[in-house]
Amino acid sequence: MSRILEINIFRYNPEDPASVPRMQTYYLEETPNLNLFIALNRLKEEQDPSLMFDFCCRAAICGACAMVINGKPQLACKTKTKDFPNQINLMPLPGFKLIGDLCVDTGSWFRIMNEKLEAWVHTNKEFDPEAEEERMENSLAEQIYELDRCIECGCCIAACATAQMRSGFLGAVALNRIARFILDPRDKRSEQQYFEIIGTDQGIFGCMGLLACEDICPKNIPLQDQLGYLRKKMGVLAVKNYLFWKKRS
Amino acid sequence: MRATNVRKINFSNTVAYLDLSQAITGIFLCLFMLTHTLLVFSIIFGEKCFNKVALFFESTGLAWSSGIFLTIIFLFHFLLTARKIPFSFTEQAKFWSQAKMINHQDTWLWLVQVLTGIVILLFGSIHIWVILNDLPITALKSKHLMQKGGWVYFYVLFLFSVAFHLGLGLYRIGVKWGFITSQNRLKSKKYLFILVGTLIMIDSISLLFFYF
Repeated sequence: MSRILEINIFRYNPEDPASVPRMQTYYLEETPNLNLFIALNRLKEEQDPSLMFDFCCRAAICGACAMVINGKPQLACKTKTKDFPNQINLMPLPGFKLIGDLCVDTGSWFRIMNEKLEAWVHTNKEFDPEAEEERMENSLAEQIYELDRCIECGCCIAACATAQMRSGFLGAVALNRIARFILDPRDKRSEQQYFEIIGTDQGIFGCMGLLACEDICPKNIPLQDQLGYLRKKMGVLAVKNYLFWKKRS
Repeated sequence: MRATNVRKINFSNTVAYLDLSQAITGIFLCLFMLTHTLLVFSIIFGEKCFNKVALFFESTGLAWSSGIFLTIIFLFHFLLTARKIPFSFTEQAKFWSQAKMINHQDTWLWLVQVLTGIVILLFGSIHIWVILNDLPITALKSKHLMQKGGWVYFYVLFLFSVAFHLGLGLYRIGVKWGFITSQNRLKSKKYLFILVGTLIMIDSISLLFFYF
């Protein structure tokens, strides 16, 4: 006998003046290996075409289907219903602009964040389209790739109480991205330039070490270690600035 | 974009210094608390022993001088940490709803850290005032204090707050500054909870000796 799932979904359409925020309950028969992505699509097709949610890759690569599942921000496509009790509550990610029901606009947030960080390789080298790509050690490439796996789903921001309390806080996703550029030898920015971006209360010194980002990240990116590394690096740099300040002036 | 073209922003190191000072004053106060616990524990070897320890600090002038010095560090630590405490109702409401939603241990423990911090600010001030206004410290006076009014309840709550605040604070410093990594996080947490338990035990024994 398969279970009948009770799926409570947050419903609200900000575009519709008659719409009121509410929870709506749907019932769905569980099939083997059912994940929430399939479940939501079945609900939309079979029961309620007005249901709004984002999805794209269905393989935990695009990050579009991030939502709060029984209190935890997770990817719907990576979440199997069998790991949950009969009742599943779905809410949109907090901290982002609500588009409708479970859809949020993470794109605008990430665009602003990436512009703030100047999240691209800064170099003085003239680009030569004919030249072979510069080589780097495989171990270093892997280290960079490990951090580059971030899909910008927004779960770490939705999980972080600091980011929810203080809207200017950059959050784990941004700090992880900076850690990635610090590793990259092609990025010629100095430590001081990185400090200017993240050495603030909105950056690394705003992090309160709650570690929900580390515990929730659907891609298991080692966020805790990046946060510790950056704080230490930026703290040491500030002390160095103090010690050598007199020499400079 | 070229590296030299990056905008020059007027930046300051102040936030980094504040954050560093928060950690350093915290560690300093932890070390003080551990010493304090051991010194008070001398009561189990009898009143004479306790009085000798107290007399040493009295005769060298350490009792009042370190008292004043530590009070300054204590208040300074509060001011530094207050940068993170949500004082506005909007922030408090957001933190509360977030903590309830995500139901995540370290997020709850942060709340415990803030609340114990506020208890310590109040109770610590009272404790310092009462003790420093009645120098020299003697076993008899401490016993009298413990046995009257609600002081024993005051000290029980105070000691639990201090122990948890100390353990959680060290954990948070370790995590934030990268001493505790994802590899040793669970183990470090376990050891710090053992430290909290040991502190509570030692201080409770001292309290019992004063109470009876």
